[in-house]
Amino acid sequence: MEREIVIPGQLLSENKADSGSGTYVKDGKVYSFLYGVKNSKHKISVIPFSGKYIPSSRDYVIGTVIEVTPSNWIFDIGSPYDGLLHVSEYPRRVDSDKMTEIMDFGSSALLRIKDVSSSMKVELTMREHGLRALNVGRLIEITPTKVPRIIGHSGSMVSMLKKETNCEIFVGQNGRIWIRGTDAEMDLLNEAIELILKHSHTSGLTDRISHFLKNEVDVVSEKDETVLQEDLAEDAEDESEIQEETYRKVDALLEEDGN
Amino acid sequence: MSNEVMSVLKKDYIYNLMLKGKREDGRTFDEMRKIDLRTNVIEKAEGSAWIKLGETEVLVGVKLQAGAPFPDSPGEGVIITSMELNPIASPDFEAGPPKESAIEMARVTDRGIRESGAIDLSKLCITEGEEVWIVFIDIHVLNNTGNIQDASSLGAIAALLTATVPGAREGRGEDMPVPIRDMPVSVTLVDIGGEMMVDPDLDEETVCDSRITIVSNQDGSISGMQKSGNGALTEEKLLKAVSLACQKASELRETHLLNI
Amino acid sequence: MSDKPEKFIDENGLRLDGRRVDEIRPMKMEIGVLSRADGSCYLEWGKNKVLAAVYGPRELHPRRLQKSDSALIRYRYNMAAFSVEDRIRPGPSRRSIEISKVSREAFEPVVLTHLYPGAVIDIFAEVLQADAGTRTAAINAASMALADAGIPMKGLVSACAVGKVDGQLILDLDKPEDNYGDADIPMAMTSEGEITLIQMDGDVTPEEFKRAIEMCREGCRQILEIQKETLQNKFAKLNEVEVSDDEGEADVSALVECTLDPLEGNEIPDVGESEDDESIEEDLVEDAEAEDEVESVEGQDDTDDLYSDDEAGEQVEEFDDSFKDVDEEDIPEDDEETA
Repeated sequence: MEREIVIPGQLLSENKADSGSGTYVKDGKVYSFLYGVKNSKHKISVIPFSGKYIPSSRDYVIGTVIEVTPSNWIFDIGSPYDGLLHVSEYPRRVDSDKMTEIMDFGSSALLRIKDVSSSMKVELTMREHGLRALNVGRLIEITPTKVPRIIGHSGSMVSMLKKETNCEIFVGQNGRIWIRGTDAEMDLLNEAIELILKHSHTSGLTDRISHFLKNEVDVVSEKDETVLQEDLAEDAEDESEIQEETYRKVDALLEEDGN
Repeated sequence: MSNEVMSVLKKDYIYNLMLKGKREDGRTFDEMRKIDLRTNVIEKAEGSAWIKLGETEVLVGVKLQAGAPFPDSPGEGVIITSMELNPIASPDFEAGPPKESAIEMARVTDRGIRESGAIDLSKLCITEGEEVWIVFIDIHVLNNTGNIQDASSLGAIAALLTATVPGAREGRGEDMPVPIRDMPVSVTLVDIGGEMMVDPDLDEETVCDSRITIVSNQDGSISGMQKSGNGALTEEKLLKAVSLACQKASELRETHLLNI
Repeated sequence: MSDKPEKFIDENGLRLDGRRVDEIRPMKMEIGVLSRADGSCYLEWGKNKVLAAVYGPRELHPRRLQKSDSALIRYRYNMAAFSVEDRIRPGPSRRSIEISKVSREAFEPVVLTHLYPGAVIDIFAEVLQADAGTRTAAINAASMALADAGIPMKGLVSACAVGKVDGQLILDLDKPEDNYGDADIPMAMTSEGEITLIQMDGDVTPEEFKRAIEMCREGCRQILEIQKETLQNKFAKLNEVEVSDDEGEADVSALVECTLDPLEGNEIPDVGESEDDESIEEDLVEDAEAEDEVESVEGQDDTDDLYSDDEAGEQVEEFDDSFKDVDEEDIPEDDEETA
């Protein structure tokens, strides 16, 4: 399909029935209201290059506690609107005075949005399988508009990342990704995610990232061994070299693919 | 008011890296971020420098105007340094008059330049007791990803090195370069749970217990110092910081200032 | 201060800097220049150097400023102290406050603010070097920064000014033309040609004014082309790129399947040091059914108290402070005021 970059105000169609997300209709014609890539699959929609996460009911998000009130944890969810987790939405009974023992300022958690009111009051829940507070692993922040890319078609990308790096991954729709594995595994996954973002608008990405990871896993396991033997300062140097090296390899790979 | 809150996971990550002798962006503890310094970028200013320290961006402009000297130094020019932490530079900065941290950083920069005697103020006298040149150093912070202090200080001295006294335009003698005698350079270190590292990025600034800025000169002397943050430093640590800062300052001078 | 040129337009119809009467000064721009901002643009137009950034939509405090059905737009036009010949004192002046207001209103008709109730979209325009036409330069840059930030807009906004020298209308005044000209009419237009900002000072006939609008429209059209080109070229490297299957909407069910279910027996230490992971799991399952019945009535009362009045009061005070020195201003005017 033809990729086309569109800008706000650009005429996309003379037929108002084509109007999809990111577009508006004026005098029967469809225009873009975003700067992004045009997608004419079913209707015509515009996928923006950037933009804030706007909470929507049933979304999965990762939040960080910014305040604890007597009956709510208030979460920053990387959005103009904070989310409220009422104490009754926590999987266990919690006394008011024990709330900060469960999650305090700075704690992160996997959450689901239960409801968003018309005035954008966001209610969260943790009463679902798999949702939980996070006290290990790493958080990575990406542009929320790139989340679909990380998940991939029917989850293909995220499954592959999980399999190849042996990490646990949770992708919040608000652009926060939680990962957990050994340091070397997480470093590698982090690199892979950066690559996906860098090449997010290219095709065949899943295969190329998979290829990249398969090549790299060997390097990583070697690296793990070296770490044991060498002292830490030297390791820091090693690491930067390896990164350089991998980028070169990946660039070569990507070029190959492009031809 | 900022909603930015650093998650404990992120704090732990940075702390654990530190324990392993590493930093998030792969630098060593004594390594500055990449510096890109361009001078004379604002033609309307008498001197200017646009500095990128990593992603931190600061624009320093120098303007000179004739004005009255201070009563206690009738034969000397005047230096006025101000800094604006513009809301354009960070979601954490607000519009309005300078807050304490902006004032602190402007004053540290100012002291470094003043106390080192970097500008020969006696040469900036027009008529003793009546009229002298006032040197305005305005620091415009454009993007904050940490360590505005060192970017500002390096930008300020670079802008001064390119600055001209606008004698002709102001009808007060001929144009001449602003008389510079020294090149004070500040180097800032942070203490993260026991290890000191230079040129903190935003995350390191956020998690650090204390921060120390040392301004040193061409001959290795020290002309300014400031500790901030709610942690404490041991004497040993402080002395180590001073020696590292002087060494780094000398490298910065060598690479970025001597060729201006 | 009378270095006023005798003639602004020569016998060949060219201006002092060699431009035709209907020609704008060279303009170049770049987006995505500031890493902290959600959107940004650096623009050079003649000798003007302007940096614009957009933050938002983001949370707005104090809450009493929030609009329940739409986002608030704030626009701050600010000149660097060293941006003009004679240093200006940092901080807002009467002039910059007025420009900020009309510039904000130039964007209000195009930004789809109703998509973000209660939030704020902040636009900051910093004039780093001023050389006549800074408010229009700032608007052109701000328009790009908004697009870069992914802010939904009906269209881009472009702006330029028409003035009058030697009895003739000219497009995009430079410094001397601005200082000694007989009129200055800055305008901003949407891509559809609707006028969202117009100011004027000076002296023109109604016929001249009509012609001025047409000239401005042509100027804005040229600027819009530069804006479009800048946006298109940002991703020019992606030439043979396609829209792939997984672009657009996130595949939530796939996400859940791949990352939440199942936990693969990895014990995830839950909250704090608590050892009762198993009981949590059990609770989770038991409570799952009851989920929909749980009402968070108490929670609603809490939220209104989130941001205390004290805090709001503080904000207001600071806000007021920042404008204290406003009335003594208007003295060290920059280049834009006619001399």
